[in-house]
Amino acid sequence: MLRIALISVVVVLTNVFALGLVQAQQPPPAWQQGRPPELSNSPLAPVAAPPTPTPAAQIPVNKVKLPPGFKITVWADGILNARQMAWGDKGTLFVGSRVAGNVYAVVDRAGRREVKVVAKGLVMPNGVVFKDGALYVADIPRLLKYENIEANLDNPPAPKELYTFPKEAHHNWRFLAWGPDSKLYFNMGAPCNICMPPDTHANISRMNADGTGFEYVAHGVRNSVGADFHPVTKELYFTSHGRDWAGDDFPNDTLHHAPRKGLHFGWPYCHQGDTVDPDFGQGRSCSEFAPPLLKLGPHIAPVGTRFYTGSLFPPEYKNRLFIAQKGSWNRSQKLGYRVMTVELKPGQPPKYEVFAEGFHEGNTVLGRPTYIEWMKDGSMLLSDDFHGAIYHITYQR
Amino acid sequence: MSLRLMTLALFVWTLAAVSSAQAGDVDAGRRKAEPCAACHGADGNATIVGMPSLAGQPAWFTHWALIKFRDGRRKDPVMSPFAARLSDVDMADLSAYYAAQPPRRRPQAVDAAKAAAGKELASLHHCTSCHRPDLSGQNQVPRLAGQDLEYLLKLLRAYKAQTAGDLEGLMTQAAQPLSAADIENLAHFMAISPASPAP
Repeated sequence: MLRIALISVVVVLTNVFALGLVQAQQPPPAWQQGRPPELSNSPLAPVAAPPTPTPAAQIPVNKVKLPPGFKITVWADGILNARQMAWGDKGTLFVGSRVAGNVYAVVDRAGRREVKVVAKGLVMPNGVVFKDGALYVADIPRLLKYENIEANLDNPPAPKELYTFPKEAHHNWRFLAWGPDSKLYFNMGAPCNICMPPDTHANISRMNADGTGFEYVAHGVRNSVGADFHPVTKELYFTSHGRDWAGDDFPNDTLHHAPRKGLHFGWPYCHQGDTVDPDFGQGRSCSEFAPPLLKLGPHIAPVGTRFYTGSLFPPEYKNRLFIAQKGSWNRSQKLGYRVMTVELKPGQPPKYEVFAEGFHEGNTVLGRPTYIEWMKDGSMLLSDDFHGAIYHITYQR
Repeated sequence: MSLRLMTLALFVWTLAAVSSAQAGDVDAGRRKAEPCAACHGADGNATIVGMPSLAGQPAWFTHWALIKFRDGRRKDPVMSPFAARLSDVDMADLSAYYAAQPPRRRPQAVDAAKAAAGKELASLHHCTSCHRPDLSGQNQVPRLAGQDLEYLLKLLRAYKAQTAGDLEGLMTQAAQPLSAADIENLAHFMAISPASPAP
């Protein structure tokens, strides 16, 4: 309560300064917020997004290492800033993006993939899902529904606006996922690196497919951009990005399990389940919060988070969780840039293994694995928002 | 060379190494830029008040700006119809051409007192952390140094009004605390700064 009172005083004072009585230091850009003064000359900054997709022949996909029997190829290129993917009923792959502002439809024409832009000029339309003939797109701040879109790819219908999310841009590009309850799940990320968030942010929430019935599902979630439901238990698992500017090796990004709604996962008070925040954790204990299921590595940026339910991959992959990691920026040596798997067996600790690696060489970015979607035959599609491409990972024994 | 400088050098080199494979064709860009010369100058150094200079702008900045004009996130009665006709290759070529042209500071009347106040503000508002200490820009972030004063004023006011359509919302957020006088002072400081090309 004292902290809230203090923040109020600070807010009032800041407003006074803004009126021109005193010129005060202003908040830095969101990615830089929370950076300690001694790191003010740090060269670390988010990896800039290229304005052009890389032609397939120039993507160094041959550098990617996979377990024996697996093979990776470029499935489609020319999809600037490709992010979350969703299959239409008639075999169209819809692809969201972030800074490109586009939603794409990829159509297979006898083994050649044709890419169409079905929506443009949106604000970070990252999240895409499909149901009953309709494409759902989450941009900032709207949930859009494009009905009967597969019959109208060259002349997409005007969308219906089903819901209005918070308007802040930072950490509000969002995933969309259908739950086993047929509700639509999504994140509302923290509007900062580290801060005391308003109640409306730093959570995972859900609502009905028509935009009604909003409710919070998980609290204390800084920035989750990937989630899925366990194929057997139907319970929610999600990944989250930890804070920046607290060191190369701290905190870990995390995997969480939310078997029921209403749990608090710690942010901004507690990081990675075991360390209180030096500013916001005063007087708090990590034991107050639901701990992460697994530490995924510092700054590795988990994005696509999907259980494997197919039967093409060897049997040990059945029901394993795949996590695509876009890779670090807030770290002096790059880490992540890979796809990992997590084996979850009742009564046993999670087993965390490398699946695909080689998307960086030292500090040179070779690719940024972003979201995962499954082909009907059980093979994997993996988007790369740096090259603007989708990879195909298959298995043959 | 300190470790930090080496890291920075490596970081910049990394971006260059990755981006070069997709860079546009400067000579093709020179031909395609002919219709742009009336407003932006033949070599991208504009002379008409209110028109931005494009010479020495980072190629990624010009390319993203054209994408935003084409898809409607950024609107301008003159630029929007031009951008609507450009292909992705056209945009890459134009951006590469303008990035390769040496920028010159615009000859314009700048108020030294306002510029001095603006220099303080640029630090307080963290302008230099993305636009670089010499305001030369990098990657998708534009060069501001030596830019046209009226254009700088127009853009800063549009960000403040939340109508400028930036890529990730960073400029819209940064402009919110700026008063009308702050915007004036900042623009004068940017306009008076020597126009060195982006790295």
